[in-house]
Amino acid sequence: MSAQESTFGPLGPERLAAGEARRLGQRERQDTLAQRNAGLAVGDAVRVRIRRFDREGADEIQTFEVPCRKWMRVLDALNWIADNAAHDLAYRWFCGSKMCGTCAVRMNGREVLACWEAVEPDMTIEPLRNLPVIRDLVVDRAPFDEKVAALEPWIERPVTYPGFPEPLSHKEMKNASKALDCIGCMCCYSACPVIGLGDLTDFAGPAPLVQLGQTALDPRNDPAKVARSLARTGIFNCVSCYKCEEVCPASIPIVSRVIEPLKARAHALVPAMARHPRALRTIVAGRGRVDPGALILRLQGFWALRNLSRVLRLLLRGKINPLKTLLQRTTPASGAARRVLGREEEP
Amino acid sequence: MKFAYYPGCSARSTCAELNEATHQVAARLGLELVQLETATCTGARELRAIDPIGFHTLNIRILALAEREGLPLMTICNTCTLNLLDAEAAFVDEPHLADEVNARLAEEGLRYGGRTRISHFLWVLYEEIGMERLRQLVVRPLTGLTVAAFYGCHITRPPLRYGFVDSRNNVALERLAEVLGCRPIDYSGRTECCGFHTAAHDERIAIKLTGQHIKSAKANGAATMLTPCPLCHTVLDGFQREIERDMGERLDMPVLHLPQLVGLALGLAPAVLRLDRHMVATQAIARLLGT
Amino acid sequence: MRVIQADVAIVGGGAAGCYAAINLHRMGVRPVILCKGLVGKSGASIFAGNLVISGRALGNSEEHARNTAEFLIKYHNQFLIDQNWARRCGQWIESVYYPELEQAGLYLRRDEQGNVVTSPGKIRSVAANVQGNSGVPFMDLRRKQVIKAAIPRLEETAVTALLHRPDGSVCGVFGLDYIAGEYVAVLARAVILATGYSDRLHARSTGTREMSGDGLAIAWRAGAALVNLEMQWWHTNDMAAPPSWQRMQVYPNPMLGSEKSARMVNAAGEEFFNQQQDDPLAYGPYTVQLKALARQVHAGKARYEGGYFAGFDHCDPREVEAYTSYAKGFRQLGLRFPEDLAETAVTAHYRQGGIDVDTQTMRSSVPGLYAAGGLAGHSNGLIGLATYDGKVVADAVAADIRQGAAPDLPEAQVESERRRLESLRVARTGGVVPAAIKERVRALMWEKVGVEKDSAGLASALDDLAAIRLDLLPRMGLKRTAKAANYEWLDAIDVVNMLDACELVMRSSLEREESRGPFMRRDFPLQDNANWLAANVIEPSGNGFRFRRRPYELPFFRPDFDTRSNLEVPW
Repeated sequence: MSAQESTFGPLGPERLAAGEARRLGQRERQDTLAQRNAGLAVGDAVRVRIRRFDREGADEIQTFEVPCRKWMRVLDALNWIADNAAHDLAYRWFCGSKMCGTCAVRMNGREVLACWEAVEPDMTIEPLRNLPVIRDLVVDRAPFDEKVAALEPWIERPVTYPGFPEPLSHKEMKNASKALDCIGCMCCYSACPVIGLGDLTDFAGPAPLVQLGQTALDPRNDPAKVARSLARTGIFNCVSCYKCEEVCPASIPIVSRVIEPLKARAHALVPAMARHPRALRTIVAGRGRVDPGALILRLQGFWALRNLSRVLRLLLRGKINPLKTLLQRTTPASGAARRVLGREEEP
Repeated sequence: MKFAYYPGCSARSTCAELNEATHQVAARLGLELVQLETATCTGARELRAIDPIGFHTLNIRILALAEREGLPLMTICNTCTLNLLDAEAAFVDEPHLADEVNARLAEEGLRYGGRTRISHFLWVLYEEIGMERLRQLVVRPLTGLTVAAFYGCHITRPPLRYGFVDSRNNVALERLAEVLGCRPIDYSGRTECCGFHTAAHDERIAIKLTGQHIKSAKANGAATMLTPCPLCHTVLDGFQREIERDMGERLDMPVLHLPQLVGLALGLAPAVLRLDRHMVATQAIARLLGT
Repeated sequence: MRVIQADVAIVGGGAAGCYAAINLHRMGVRPVILCKGLVGKSGASIFAGNLVISGRALGNSEEHARNTAEFLIKYHNQFLIDQNWARRCGQWIESVYYPELEQAGLYLRRDEQGNVVTSPGKIRSVAANVQGNSGVPFMDLRRKQVIKAAIPRLEETAVTALLHRPDGSVCGVFGLDYIAGEYVAVLARAVILATGYSDRLHARSTGTREMSGDGLAIAWRAGAALVNLEMQWWHTNDMAAPPSWQRMQVYPNPMLGSEKSARMVNAAGEEFFNQQQDDPLAYGPYTVQLKALARQVHAGKARYEGGYFAGFDHCDPREVEAYTSYAKGFRQLGLRFPEDLAETAVTAHYRQGGIDVDTQTMRSSVPGLYAAGGLAGHSNGLIGLATYDGKVVADAVAADIRQGAAPDLPEAQVESERRRLESLRVARTGGVVPAAIKERVRALMWEKVGVEKDSAGLASALDDLAAIRLDLLPRMGLKRTAKAANYEWLDAIDVVNMLDACELVMRSSLEREESRGPFMRRDFPLQDNANWLAANVIEPSGNGFRFRRRPYELPFFRPDFDTRSNLEVPW
């Protein structure tokens, strides 16, 4: 297949300048934005496929041609369709201007806020994932609301309120302030692969965690209360895939500014939750590098050996090396690691 | 072209075949790799949250070691790469953190000046070698090999680091595969998550997530999967038997490390690239290529 | 059908409704909130950009305090306000409002050193987290307070009628949960209507999707007197495009941490308004902006629908982005910030008028029926004022219902209302789409009951409404009649309320024969303080209605002229 015939599209110059490869995403971002804002002229036809669904059995894709208007948003396209073609189209929106967070949908497989996102010439619109669909694009928000309520996302003060204005700086509120940008649109909740696994884990999900983070990362909150909330989050089941950050219309760095700070709080307040990170830290502090066998043994103990055929397979392929795990407790990196992380004894 | 080489912990243990293949391919491509003997782990996912200053110090230290050699740094693992990029960004954005880290590094006579370029092997192929030259170096075009690329989250997200509005628009691995003569296939798992970072305490997440990706790759006609990250490889390849058991069906999907695919096209033998050291047999690939 | 017993039914989940509920709960009274949208995610309250500092709070000087009061009475209400109520409200905001909010956890934005960030100038303000976005965390806090107190919340539920005891007093509400498609009746010893400042009666409106003048229509049908419905405010700097952004404002107010505010230029690029420069006392400069725009429109250099621009090209972008969200909309459209200005247009905004209430108790003219916040027509909108109303009404209701008895379900009324709503859920081949009627109504409101009105236009508008009632309403039909998530059905229900609300607005506009602030009549261009510094009350009478005028007391501020051209009045 020649360079011009790829199904995956052109990539640009075949040799990139130093440091450019890691910035290909910046180019994609610019191309996409410019493309979408300029690529469609007023009056052009926007092709829209919508999944129509109800609980009585209807389930089909319907296609519409919508005339493009200036700076058209996905919501404008939906409104046109409801006004002119499918009067019974069910979809939720309230503010139309990125305040209420109720109009989130999936557009071409990607979670977007319908009122914020520009139309693309060809769009397939479906409801959010991971929530029951009531009709067409309207999903049931109750599971999300219930999760949020169960985390008790409010402040309980350990000491009496000192009076207005209380001593507080933005430095202490930096992460909570980011979390306060959240409008509860549930785009991240739809995108999260762990939430996609349903009841398999107790992971609360990115959106409920951001809602919790608004107060759990607030220094005015009682640590005991924060601990109680964190204990219900299953937060160490976050796989750090960053899909939540990718889709957040409010550009909240959900993993690095909410989930990781909450993990840090959990490590401090509910140490039993943080066995995995603590085990890893201990191993790195001693050996300088991670020995996966050591990590598994530390976390699972002899339970790790339950599947003997598996252990044997791993051994035969050289994937594990028990002698090294048990006996080689140092590497050339140990000295530096101990200096930086502090000496910790591995039993 | 000379690089400070940072293989990470996985390539030195579970995925030692990746380390060997990298050395072999580097030699073929004229890349000289200088080992950083005392470089530590970058902290995987776990260290960042619970020990931020430790995390930043270890990562900046790696960058400082490379800087001392006056060399750019090459990585072969996605999570290592993201950790280093994040530490680099923090170093620039937070001067007080930079000072604190340098104070700790001073204890061993090190100091970081902010000049190290971090480059995953995939980016080295695009920048140092370039696709034109790579095409010329291909001795054995991998015609007939259908490849499902599995990027791995940490080389394509978060947007704060990489910029993609939609990481599915990242086509670097597919284009590379084409240059090597493969036919890349489209499937639902390309830029999805393997679940490695929870596997140590709950591998069911990884098994359930990755099962869907491999199944989709197979259904779309892939003869092999390809990944630039040994952590993803550990799940895709290392857990595949458990995945098959969970799904109740055979997958038999070999998974290649990025340098291995490149090496095959450059004419290196499968044995040299340690394709024998995978959990899922790779003979089918060798047969396909007539080696 | 669900039947719920409560002490108080609160219709509306915004600043007033939630605060009333929280206060009632604290007093041991059991409220239920019914919200046509989602509590904290619809309505006017979420749009609060920043929060004005009242009285001497937070370093305000005596002059600041006086300026704030003058702004509220003159600029924001055009003297059509109970100044004693305003004083009580200002004192409460000064001593209770901010401390209570902060104690509950609201984050009033600080800088890195720990100072509360304020906008400087003659009137000072603060923000909850980010300026331009204060309403979102504010209302989210209320939502969480309601959840924490376990106050029942019926969301996406449209209240369609009030229920009455045999003696005529109000004893509950009837409504439709339009997502589930189920009816609900809430029996209560008092009903508080708190449906807010915004409605969505014009082609361009700041009201959220679900609004259709319900509060006004329901109260009117229950026999309540209404007031000052013609006093409609307008945003001048809402995005001209895309249509869904008609509510997105290029905020003209003072900016936190900066001496500057946005500027407006006409089609020729000439600047014609800049709040901090032109009128620093006009903290919410909507009327002075509108008058400045009107002059441009008359000169042919702008239109109410667009052709003029607003933005921050005279500011350092870091200054704007430090504490505000203002740059985001520009960037999302691919505009450069701050260099590019955005085309803007007027959008119908808050209704200063509403249900006529006793400002000490928020009682309406109908026993058992109260109003609070925007729907209580005693003041134009600020989130602090609506919150204060929530407290006042809660205190009054708690005292009043001690004597009342729990009501019985008025079966006949419930059945009658149910049948009425069912009759709107019909398919009809060749039927008129309800949403299309809504668009018709909004279009005619925009055209004939817009920024500048006159009697010919208003009379014609009334004829248009009559024609719609006669010709289109009976022919309404739905494409789909299944009950769940049936937005068409909801539209049909809304149309009836819209027609009633719009007619009341038109008649009130005809009655007030003057111009005042944002209320501009081509045929009566003078502000007439001799005759019209008064509440324009409309109340049911016999088979129709009548008007009453009730002059306002002027204990603290009074205008210094009897009549003057409204456009010349500097506030």
